[in-house]
Amino acid sequence: MAHYVMVIDTRMCIGCQSCTVACRTHNELPVDMIYNPVTTVGPSGVFPNLQMVHIPLLCMHCQDTPCVDACPTGASQQRPDGIVWVDEKKCVGCKACVMACPYGARVSNHEKGTVQKCDFCMDRVDKGNIPRCVQTCHQKARIFGDLDDPESEVSKLINGEHVVCLLDELGTKPNVYYIYGLEAQNR
Amino acid sequence: MKHKHDTWGWMLAVDFFFAGMGAAMLVIAGITDLFIGEITTSVLGNFLAPIFVAIGAGFLILELGRPFQAWRVFMNPKAILTFGAWNMLLAIAFGFVLASFGIKAFPWSEMVVLRKIVAVLSIIVGLVVATYPGVLLARHKSRPFWNGPGMMVIFLMSSLVTGAAAHIACGFFVPAPTEVVLAKLPYFVAALLFFQILIWIGYIMIKIDGTTEREAKAAERWLKGDISGSFKIGFLVCGNVLPLILLLFSNTTAQVIGAILVLFGGLLMRHLVVKAGEDRTWLPGELNYRSKLPIGDEEFLKAWKC
Repeated sequence: MAHYVMVIDTRMCIGCQSCTVACRTHNELPVDMIYNPVTTVGPSGVFPNLQMVHIPLLCMHCQDTPCVDACPTGASQQRPDGIVWVDEKKCVGCKACVMACPYGARVSNHEKGTVQKCDFCMDRVDKGNIPRCVQTCHQKARIFGDLDDPESEVSKLINGEHVVCLLDELGTKPNVYYIYGLEAQNR
Repeated sequence: MKHKHDTWGWMLAVDFFFAGMGAAMLVIAGITDLFIGEITTSVLGNFLAPIFVAIGAGFLILELGRPFQAWRVFMNPKAILTFGAWNMLLAIAFGFVLASFGIKAFPWSEMVVLRKIVAVLSIIVGLVVATYPGVLLARHKSRPFWNGPGMMVIFLMSSLVTGAAAHIACGFFVPAPTEVVLAKLPYFVAALLFFQILIWIGYIMIKIDGTTEREAKAAERWLKGDISGSFKIGFLVCGNVLPLILLLFSNTTAQVIGAILVLFGGLLMRHLVVKAGEDRTWLPGELNYRSKLPIGDEEFLKAWKC
């Protein structure tokens, strides 16, 4: 069984928001819904030593999922390959998962009355493709693959680079890893 | 600066208020029935207890994005919301059965053993319903103001205070067959209010001084931020100190006014606590990003939806 993860190389990201647009187009999201925003930290420092970093955010597809545990209907689920998704037929829009998610990755669809989120484009992944945001990123800042495959790029990056997970201290064991080129954590 | 937040709304606070108050009324009715005697609280109060829990459940349903699918919240036994929903249902059922013992026309009203069993069950589910909102909120790791066991104590205490106050108000309109409980209840509520003030002072102090920077920042909102006025004047003064003084008077009208102020304070407190859930542990750059999102009343959004 695969163990899907994403590595985001913030050294490569230029904050063009292509991934955000591609995601919204692929998922046909309403105008006020975004699954994967790109935030910007900085510029900070004193000229000429300025720094700025762009941080693409998305569902972290945690291994220890507070959102799945909080869901009273069983709509929020995790597949054996690690992908966390929402079965819209079962979702009643109680927002328990929205509140439980430490990453703000879930958004309410007020028209449908349900909660939606990034599902690593599992419709594409199941057909052997990569998520739309990864395909779109011309900087190759997003890398997607199987962590259990030692030959995969993600496996090599996670084992070879200094990667961090956001809010690691909460113990949710995210499946999205970041390569930080700059001191972005010092907001 | 305004930020776009996708959080629970005021209806959940109203749910917590009614469910907590009704559940505590049930607990008080059950305890007095077991240890003091049969029907020592107002029959109106005994019947309103399950009705208040049902009103709370109604607001919970209205808070849902798809209220007609509400039955689905009973489906995941691992979820705390499911646990709470089942207990609310049981509290409504036991509450009506317990209250029905106060009406002699019912053939089971003389069955003492059955009444005692129902009283015990009512106390158990009542305590669970009164406490579970606090447990639900306290488990949110990334909501710095909620996180921690203190929230459970806050909700249990507030439920007991508002439940007892509601019994006082109900006793004013439909007196109980005996005054043995209702005469003492105002002093019990006054004592609980004193403890509630202490608990809140301790909770805010601990959040500010004894925990993480994020929790300190979230707690500062209660002392200096946008909800500080409602907290200090609305909740602490009007919902606690003032009723505490009024309840110590032997005048019934003053005690009822005090009881109503307690209910106001309980509702306001829940609204503020739910609102405090907007404060999350923010990711790098996220707060700046959220400040740029449309809130919902912008012209371009209205034009888009037209």
